[in-house]
Amino acid sequence: MESLDPRIARLEISDDAILQPKEALDQLVTYEVFVQKKDKAAFEHVGIVHASDVEMAFIFAKETFSRRFTCFGMCVVETGKIRITGYTDNDNNIYDQVAKVEHGDGPEEIYEIFHLKKRGKQHVHIGSVEAESYDNALYKAKVLYDDEKPKFNVWVIKNSDILFSDEDDKAIWDTLSDKKYRDATAYRAMDKIKKFKEEQLNQ
Amino acid sequence: MYGGGNLFETPKLDELRNEDPIKLKEFEDRIERGEKIEPNDWMPALYRKQLIRMIEQHAHSEIIGALPEGTWITRAPGFKRKMSLMAKVQDEVGHAQLLYSAAETLGKSREQMIDDLISGKSKYSNIFNYPTFTWADCCFISWLVDAGAIVNQTANARGSYGPYCRALDRICAEESFHLKYGHHCVIHLATGTPKQRKMMQEAIDRWWEPLMHFFGPPDKLSVHTETLVKWKVKMATNDENRQQFLDMYVPKIWELGLTIPDPNLKKNAETGLWEYTEPDWAEFKRVINGDGPCNKERLAVRRVAEERGEWVRQAMLAPQSKYVVPLA
Ligand SMILES: [Fe+2]
Ligand SMILES: [Fe+2]
Repeated sequence: MESLDPRIARLEISDDAILQPKEALDQLVTYEVFVQKKDKAAFEHVGIVHASDVEMAFIFAKETFSRRFTCFGMCVVETGKIRITGYTDNDNNIYDQVAKVEHGDGPEEIYEIFHLKKRGKQHVHIGSVEAESYDNALYKAKVLYDDEKPKFNVWVIKNSDILFSDEDDKAIWDTLSDKKYRDATAYRAMDKIKKFKEEQLNQ
Repeated sequence: MYGGGNLFETPKLDELRNEDPIKLKEFEDRIERGEKIEPNDWMPALYRKQLIRMIEQHAHSEIIGALPEGTWITRAPGFKRKMSLMAKVQDEVGHAQLLYSAAETLGKSREQMIDDLISGKSKYSNIFNYPTFTWADCCFISWLVDAGAIVNQTANARGSYGPYCRALDRICAEESFHLKYGHHCVIHLATGTPKQRKMMQEAIDRWWEPLMHFFGPPDKLSVHTETLVKWKVKMATNDENRQQFLDMYVPKIWELGLTIPDPNLKKNAETGLWEYTEPDWAEFKRVINGDGPCNKERLAVRRVAEERGEWVRQAMLAPQSKYVVPLA
């Protein structure tokens, strides 16, 4: 194939081959990613990555979501392990639909609770509860965290399913200061335009 | 980066007739109130279909758009430009990731989208089917193609689908660096030696028509999009986006002493609108249907990446866990 792209020749790419149909889907698993935008701030949802396991998900998440914005901590969890309520709208509070569940069938453990407080915004971590099941955790969250304002959706996640970044390893987030060239402010050029216009006028 | 002028399918009225009227009204009221739609909400099949199509086209445009610029990293003039361009290309590929994720929440897997790109079933922004002969072509893309993309993305960020809006907010914040970097590159050439000026002017002459295509066919030729406007899927018409671009950037091109290869281009003082020669829309159609100078090569690069990466994905597959649709 003739091309201006040096890769075409180097990788011996031809244009006539077609992609062979695959036997099965080889799409990797989905992980939801949460970040702390400020020191000690609550974790909030930023997006997803696909990875083969939780460690790799963390590496991908770091690359995708801390490359350009400040970040003080990150955590990832497999999407399939998150229990989600229904969505409400207008002024309807989803907690009004949560039934009283005082016990569960599992051992008591920590569950993390995330709220959607405005449609279109991110889910934000609100706190944790000790509970015996997801439903039990949701009910305890209702008792503890349901204030006046409506919540449109709640996520419940077992703490043990989440991979958190290391508190003692904060230095890994300090990557922005030596990458000023990723900042719009590094490209000031008004002086050059001004000088050019003056020269044009003098000619 | 990304081109406007999405190619929507013509909505068929009977597609809506099959929808539950009560649910449809709730859905439309919610949008009317300015609330966003989230993945688990009920939505008309047509809304889902058109959004998948639009977000997917956008995502493909980001990765295919990274190819013409990507090939210039090794040849960018000097270490600083190499660093900047590398960061920009990395951003664009990152944008594709964010957008694929948003489209996935509507129920189409990322793998299926990539397969549809490679097979030619899905489209991407037409402008990336043109070759970058010189460094100035690369500078043109970084400044003006990104500028066009930003006009379009800023409009779409006010749309009704939550995950798409969230992805676009992030993307728009990153684009400001692309725009400044691209402008910086063009200023450097335009205020440089006669040879540099000539190179920049030639790039503008080559790219102007594809850039006018970039915003899509004129409104009078576009399909009926009333429903999509009501549902806040389409936030501005092709002509509105094109006008906004001309208004913001033609003066910035002219102030550098560069010319635009359209003798009819001028702002009508009475209407406040720009007048211009309609670009060749037959050429646009021909290229989008596969017959542009670089269509084959762009898809071949993606296909080879997919094929040669297959063993890695196979090796990483964890048989006990299954792919699921993202939550938000
Ligand atoms: Fe982009
Ligand atoms: Fe960009």
